[in-house]
Amino acid sequence: MKPAPFDYIRPATVAQAVDALDQHAGMARVLAGGQSLVPMLGMRLMRPSALIDINGLEDELGRIECSGSETTVGALVRYATLERSPVISERLPLLAHVVRYIGDRQVRNRGTLGGAVAQSDPTGEMGLVCLALGASVLARGSGGERTIPIEQFFEGSYANVLEPEELLVALRFPLAPSRCRFFERGRKHNDFALISVVAVGSEDADGRWHDVRIALGGINDRPVLAPAAAARLEGARWDAAAIEEAAQLALEVADPPDDVRASADYRRHLVPVHVRRVLTDLAAGEDR
Amino acid sequence: MSETTIERDRTAQRPNGIGADAPRKEDDRLLRGDGRFTDDVDPARALHMAVGRCPFPHARILAVDVSAASELEGVRQILVGADVARRSEPISVLRPVPGAPPLPFYALAQDVAVFEGQPIVSVVATSRAIAEDAVELIEIDYDPLPHVSDTIGALEPDAPVLHPGVLSSNLLATNPQGAGEPEERMAQADVVVEDRFHINRVTGLPMETRAIVAQWRPGARELTVHHSTQVPHLVRKQLAESLRMVEGEIRVIAGDVGGGFGLKLGVYPEDVLACLHAIDLRQPVKWVEDRLEHFRATTHARESVHDFRIGATADGRILAMTNTYTTDLGGLNSPFGSAQLSTIVFTGPYKVEDGYVERRVAITNKTPIGAYRGYGQPEVNFARERLIDRLARRVGKDPLELRRQNMLRPEDLPFRNPGGGLYDSGDYLATLELVVDAVDYDGLRRAGRGPRPDGRLVGVGLTSFVERTGYASAKFLANRGSQFGAHESVTLRANRSGGIDLYTGTPTFGQSSETAFAQVCASVIGIDFHAIRVHAGDTGATPLNTGAFASRTMIAAAGALKQASERLRDKALRIAAWRLERDGVEGLAIDGDVVRDPDDPGRSIALAEVFTAAIIGQGIPIGEEPGLEATAHFEPEEAAYAFGSAAAVVAVDPETGDFAIERFVMSHDCGVAVNPLLVEGQVQGALAQGFGAALSEDLTYDPDTGQLVNGTMLDYFVPTAADIPEVELHHTAVPSPVTTFGVRGVGEIGTIPPGAAIANAVCDALAGEGVELTALPVTPERVWRALQQARNRSETS
Ligand SMILES: Cc1cc2nc3c(=O)[nH]c(=O)nc-3n(C[C@H](O)[C@H](O)[C@H](O)COP(=O)(O)OP(=O)(O)OC[C@H]3O[C@@H](n4cnc5c(N)ncnc54)[C@H](O)[C@@H]3O)c2cc1C
Repeated sequence: MKPAPFDYIRPATVAQAVDALDQHAGMARVLAGGQSLVPMLGMRLMRPSALIDINGLEDELGRIECSGSETTVGALVRYATLERSPVISERLPLLAHVVRYIGDRQVRNRGTLGGAVAQSDPTGEMGLVCLALGASVLARGSGGERTIPIEQFFEGSYANVLEPEELLVALRFPLAPSRCRFFERGRKHNDFALISVVAVGSEDADGRWHDVRIALGGINDRPVLAPAAAARLEGARWDAAAIEEAAQLALEVADPPDDVRASADYRRHLVPVHVRRVLTDLAAGEDR
Repeated sequence: MSETTIERDRTAQRPNGIGADAPRKEDDRLLRGDGRFTDDVDPARALHMAVGRCPFPHARILAVDVSAASELEGVRQILVGADVARRSEPISVLRPVPGAPPLPFYALAQDVAVFEGQPIVSVVATSRAIAEDAVELIEIDYDPLPHVSDTIGALEPDAPVLHPGVLSSNLLATNPQGAGEPEERMAQADVVVEDRFHINRVTGLPMETRAIVAQWRPGARELTVHHSTQVPHLVRKQLAESLRMVEGEIRVIAGDVGGGFGLKLGVYPEDVLACLHAIDLRQPVKWVEDRLEHFRATTHARESVHDFRIGATADGRILAMTNTYTTDLGGLNSPFGSAQLSTIVFTGPYKVEDGYVERRVAITNKTPIGAYRGYGQPEVNFARERLIDRLARRVGKDPLELRRQNMLRPEDLPFRNPGGGLYDSGDYLATLELVVDAVDYDGLRRAGRGPRPDGRLVGVGLTSFVERTGYASAKFLANRGSQFGAHESVTLRANRSGGIDLYTGTPTFGQSSETAFAQVCASVIGIDFHAIRVHAGDTGATPLNTGAFASRTMIAAAGALKQASERLRDKALRIAAWRLERDGVEGLAIDGDVVRDPDDPGRSIALAEVFTAAIIGQGIPIGEEPGLEATAHFEPEEAAYAFGSAAAVVAVDPETGDFAIERFVMSHDCGVAVNPLLVEGQVQGALAQGFGAALSEDLTYDPDTGQLVNGTMLDYFVPTAADIPEVELHHTAVPSPVTTFGVRGVGEIGTIPPGAAIANAVCDALAGEGVELTALPVTPERVWRALQQARNRSETS
């Protein structure tokens, strides 16, 4: 479990990092928290020509910035920071809440938001939450910066639309709906999810729900929204029948894998069950 | 502790003597980061080995081209199969399967590889990274052959035969055992329950993987091997055989070992390879197994299929039990092979006189199976205890009542069971009553199964069991061809500082033998516990013993420690008496660091003075030999049987199959506990492994490709502290009549109950649905599937 040989580059600025990525013509890899990358190097599942270590770029990539209703979180912001940041707990409480479901303390001290989104693990918590909250990915390449809506970011299992020469610099979040609920089940404590469900929305004074989004993790080759389920509940008051219908509608998007964590059949069985439970809890005022 | 009183030795009053919660001697260094594991041994000029492994479950090796790899800068030597065949013998089996022909197990595959991960080539280079680079450059041309991964499928007539030179099928051997007239009793029985039970393939995960550092001094003809092992003296024997050397040329040193669990019993291919390289290169060679290798190249365990049957009268009295089971051996026979104890304890703690058990050993294209904490006992316990519950339902009795009704009583013991085991003594029912009371079984029964407001159904499951600890005798082992004895050996040597050096071939791998051994000596001699220094695991310094496995260390070592302690003590007292100018030793006793005169308590003589006198031979009685040292070897008269019971309370979500273990209560008896704190630690640790195997661990091979699909820490679900239910432990302490001090072994018992207790509890919760689990692990998905099946059955019937 020793990596194949690689060059090591530690740029002093984001511009240098992007330059280095460009010079290696897609053969280099960004090293952030290393919690996914280093094991893959050890197993030789990845053999980049160079590692571009961005851990010295805290100034440019490690900030949390607020502008109006938007919150921009730098790619190098670590899980542990998200978990403890007063700004995050006020503006994006869901993002702070799910950190406790990720790995262990050591992983959370090193792992970064940008690394998690770039890793695009179909079971990962960060991608799922970014999707539920409608975030945008800010990426920079030699041609400049672009903004990618998260709905268009994931392409499959561990795959996304980032170019190999691009650096993910930040995630930008719009104002979060006032209410959210998260559920996850793994095969052991804090294991990768065999199913995770997020529902967010805002309930008006009239008891009707708006900005409803429901997202599923571990069910498809990428985190997915369940738009039909959300549409069923948008603008509605939620009763048991509405919730049950939405739960069944969530199955429309499900295309689960068969793997060591669970069979496809079992995952398909769990989707409406847990969507129903999450929505029921959310309606009952049990957030997060 | 229970009501049972222990007849304690007078010397048990000693601080840190037998029966005390002495602090672990090992912890001082381990907690300070001063442990010395094999990878900490870092000789100058050391080279590093990497091993190229077969990626297929079964393949012919057509050609190996090492040319590109040999040219890589830093590469020092590459060995291929032919080198190994020329230079070494196949690895020997320490605990053979009776009636089985040998399956040649060379350190590198010859022509055909029979499991994924089998070593094909080995490379030594100046760093491990370079060695791994070189392995990638070696071109191996494989011809993949048809494989078989299913244990039962391997015995079908159309299965490819994996060792055609030796066998005509994949059945290595069949070992029958029985007593009485089981078939007649079955025919007379009013009720017969039977089923097939599948036990999962799992592995132990010691924090320290396997590791070796081999050094050869040609001028001295001395091969020094630092090795992470439970049995340095057996490793020395096996290395001598494989390397065609004499034992005197080999010194094996096991320093601190980071866990063994039965996996580190004997020689593996990498050990032979590292030694061959070291001898050729005349430089130290180090190999530390990585976790990916561990999952494929260190022995797996437990996988077996049990066809269990119980016959009983209409009112639930058990008349007979039979169990025909097939253990999966994997592709080759590791030194301890597949588990043998499912035979010996298949009838458990019940009064069964008529029984038949048959073990079949099947060869498959998977990693070799080896010993693992429990060695067949958790496996068969699951099958039997699941059926006991089923029998209870069939005859309309509570499972508790049925167990009470059939359990052996103290007056039935000693009792020879149909599997051949001789139960020494014990109050089995007392352990059951302890857990039943602790868990409030009657209260749970009255409260009913629910459902609770959240929809969950509540169930309670019981299991009772025995554990064979130690071996019956050297004669018993000889009949089975075992290459080791049933005894332990220890040397005590006094030093001039007034302390005692204790030498043992039993290394330190977490089982706390250093502490427990010193407690026994402190008790018998009367010397301060802290004045005893344990030197463990070096074949160059310790008496030739058996080793640490089968919960046998204390069973046998207690006797050796006692005898050696008495001899050393008596001689020290003779010398002290002479120096105190007394006639004889009457009344003299060692007390901490002095020998006290009973007639004049103020008058004493320092142990350091007595020991020094002996060591230099000056000032000792006329006719007394100089020196102060004793070696003793001790074989207990029989194996001692530990026993216990457990209860699990679960709350099952019938919609998802998910369940919570709300309580887990276990009681057990290990006779006289040398150190109750250590006993507790052993039971807790074994329980954790038991929960893993019961709930989540499951090495899975893809039926199409034959490849291991979950051989990483990412996909192999070993529980963490957060996954293990809180455990409530209770003890009884019935001294064993067959061991010194009445001890029973305690290393493995915790692995036995989780599978049976939890499965019984889940089935109890879902009894209304008619769910009967027959396979481990008990995962939520498996419970959900069983529910689906039960519902489908009731719809169609
Ligand atoms: C024991 C353990 C348990 C874990 N449990 C969980 C869990 O429960 N849930 C979960 O979601 N994850 C889990 N993980 C994975 C962990 O969350 C990773 O840290 C995360 O997926 C990647 O973040 P990182 O900063 O460590 O990225 P790295 O490992 O450094 O990088 C991951 C990948 O992203 C690329 N990358 C990183 N940053 C950038 C960037 N700014 N721009 C472009 N590419 C980039 C890298 O090149 C690499 O390909 C676990 C990991 C471990 C070791």
